[in-house]
Amino acid sequence: MIVAKRKPFEEIKTMLKDYKKVLTVGCGTCVAVCLVGGEKEVGILNAELSMARKIDGNPIDLGATTLERQCDMEFLDELENVVDEYEALLSMACGAGIQFLAERYPNKPVLPAVDTTFIGANRDVGWYEEKCRSCGSCVLGWTGGICPVTMCAKGLYNGPCGGTDDGNCEIHKDQPCAWFMIYERLAAQGRLDLIMEFQPITAWQNQKPRTLVQPGYEKREEAG
Amino acid sequence: MTDMKNTDMEEINIATDVLVLGGGLTGIKAASEIAGSGYKVILVEKDAELGSKKGPELIGLKEEYKGLQDLEDKIKTDSNVEILTQASLVSAAGVTGDFTARLSKGKKVIEHNVGAIVVATDFATGSLNEKYGLSPADNVLTQSRMDELLASEADKEKLANKTVAFLVGLGQEGNPLVLERVLKSTLALQEIDGCDVYIYAGDLKVASNGLERMYKESREKGAVYFKLTEKPEIIENGKTISFFDTVARRNIEISPDLIVVEEELRADQLNERIAEILKIDVGPLGFLQNDNVHFFPVRSNRDGIFVAGSTREISGLPSAWTDVENIALEVRDLLGDGKKSVAKNKAVVNEDKCVICLTCYRCCPHGAIYWGDKKAVISPVACQGCGICASECPMDAIQIGGFSDEEMIEEVKSGVASGNGTPRILAFCCQNSAFEAGEMADIFKMQLPDGLRMIKVPCAGKIDLDYILNAFVAGADGILVMACHPGNCKSEKGNTYAQWRVNDAYRMLEEVGLEKDRLCFVGTASNMGSGFSSIVVDMEKRINELGLSPLK
Ligand code: SF4
Ligand code: SF4
Ligand code: SF4
Ligand code: SF4
Repeated sequence: MIVAKRKPFEEIKTMLKDYKKVLTVGCGTCVAVCLVGGEKEVGILNAELSMARKIDGNPIDLGATTLERQCDMEFLDELENVVDEYEALLSMACGAGIQFLAERYPNKPVLPAVDTTFIGANRDVGWYEEKCRSCGSCVLGWTGGICPVTMCAKGLYNGPCGGTDDGNCEIHKDQPCAWFMIYERLAAQGRLDLIMEFQPITAWQNQKPRTLVQPGYEKREEAG
Repeated sequence: MTDMKNTDMEEINIATDVLVLGGGLTGIKAASEIAGSGYKVILVEKDAELGSKKGPELIGLKEEYKGLQDLEDKIKTDSNVEILTQASLVSAAGVTGDFTARLSKGKKVIEHNVGAIVVATDFATGSLNEKYGLSPADNVLTQSRMDELLASEADKEKLANKTVAFLVGLGQEGNPLVLERVLKSTLALQEIDGCDVYIYAGDLKVASNGLERMYKESREKGAVYFKLTEKPEIIENGKTISFFDTVARRNIEISPDLIVVEEELRADQLNERIAEILKIDVGPLGFLQNDNVHFFPVRSNRDGIFVAGSTREISGLPSAWTDVENIALEVRDLLGDGKKSVAKNKAVVNEDKCVICLTCYRCCPHGAIYWGDKKAVISPVACQGCGICASECPMDAIQIGGFSDEEMIEEVKSGVASGNGTPRILAFCCQNSAFEAGEMADIFKMQLPDGLRMIKVPCAGKIDLDYILNAFVAGADGILVMACHPGNCKSEKGNTYAQWRVNDAYRMLEEVGLEKDRLCFVGTASNMGSGFSSIVVDMEKRINELGLSPLK
């Protein structure tokens, strides 16, 4: 899932300073699950903002809504009838959702209330770990299910650098060395031969924004 | 506050079979008692045999041992008891009244739907030879080995004319049950021709039931007790034991034929694994004790799961069996005739809003939540209505009967309205403590601020961050979050959640620029009427110093 965190309150307040009527838009998927942008967080942020603005002598009128997902146009359509009542939209979705919201309502300023942080997994309530940098060519099949792009400070594809230190990465003693973990996992599974397989350097497609069409949908796209 | 009406109740069917884990002295009794109440019991034992043969701690006490043997024979022929030996619990899904337990026996996995689970492991023993500098030898026996010898008529004869020395209470803290084992074997040895018994003991704790009597009886029959403050000198792996007697002012040396070393009693190794599977609390030494004062000691933190005897604390047979009798009563109470009347709206998940984030599942202290196809599901039987889940849900998808968000916000708003110049103070009060204390303060006409409004919550865990912030938005001058004292919460962690949320709110108030002193978290007890009064009066004073809220 996409993991995000709330922006510093001051920053949000500053972004909103010239608006008097704003709609806060939550997203009911990834950011709700990582406890940052669901219905509850929308309510809390609005309460905070309205207190702060009242104290500043510049009250603000805030609306609240939480969409199923902000990264699908169909759900964004639901705002069609209300958007005009507001001067700006404050989105609590991830960067993808915020941009889609801005694209759908190009005449409205759309402002981010969260910092999109990473693709991660949920270790415990409110605790997330980055797991994937969406590199575009996954090597987990050779690396015992441990991502060297995310877990190795240098994103090395073919074994550790010279800095591996007793299982830890040279950048920090609390950071486990990805390649040490990969070795241990493969060794335990009796698949160490995989570590000798050479992985070509990645094309780093992520240097330009990528589009992905699931294979089954390519034809339909063309036809459409 | 709308109280729940009978019409909000529904009748549901629950499973009435009971799973008993552990086929030792505690488990056998549990199976027999619970089957005796008419419920089908599945008794699971990891070893090949049930426990009467391997209860070393019993063997000194023949009558009890026999009682256990009889029970074992009885449950073996009872059609209401299914015995699974060499079996263990693999997983347990579901909630009270409807657990699905998966048990493995050899390669087979057997699934059972049960209404309640009783953990009835016995204690395990561990050698303390090393503490006395002894190594195993023909003349060095553990207490368990001595118990075994005494249980067999043939072995017993071989003990005739032997001098036996016991070492107890010098290798570990004195423990009544450890001493009881020594006293039982001493009395048994004294029945054998020509047996002499010497006991080297540290602190002799004879306060426990019957120990004093056994101690006296054994002394009258000639057992010699040496009370020592430190270990005696042990020469040649126990061939000779020597210590300096400060009264006689000389060394006392004895060369026993056999030396019997006390054993450490500890929790069954299985406990931790079982606790993990059942999601119940484990104490530091591996005992599954629940020290919440609101619960009977045999109850775990999860409804429908009970802990008996040495599962929760080292217990001899009598106290383990008392636990089992209490559990049998609780099980009858819980399962009844398999029909249960439950509140429909105790905690309800809105299917359209739930995003299955698992937050509620992870937070519920009673393990009352699981998930179905498209949403979290709350068992009306297991749910205690504390509202922790509702206040943590990121989608506000859970509503608690009588305490819905809408009702709560309504109360907050009306509580803040109508302020005629006096500070409006909202006190969110846990109904188990602060609310009662507040009512007491009111009845006894203790001093209470005019602008005070108490808002009852089922547990402090229901006090949502939203309520606190919205109360300030609505113009509250001060807010008190009143929970039970630490360790006293009926829902274990409701007060902790409330405290966390107050800390969160502090951070937000700071960001917003509202004085933090307007918000206060306090622990209270239901009998603290005057305490309640002084807390709220203090709050009013503080508000008067700060002035009314700038948010009015
Ligand atoms: S907008 Fe972002 S946070 Fe919301 S569903 Fe889409 S990816 Fe997840
Ligand atoms: S290799 Fe790592 S970054 Fe690349 S797709 Fe796989 S998990 Fe993601
Ligand atoms: S916390 Fe709320 S959204 Fe998450 S699983 Fe529970 S009910 Fe669903
Ligand atoms: S109200 Fe309390 S007991 Fe009931 S499901 Fe929610 S957290 Fe669990």
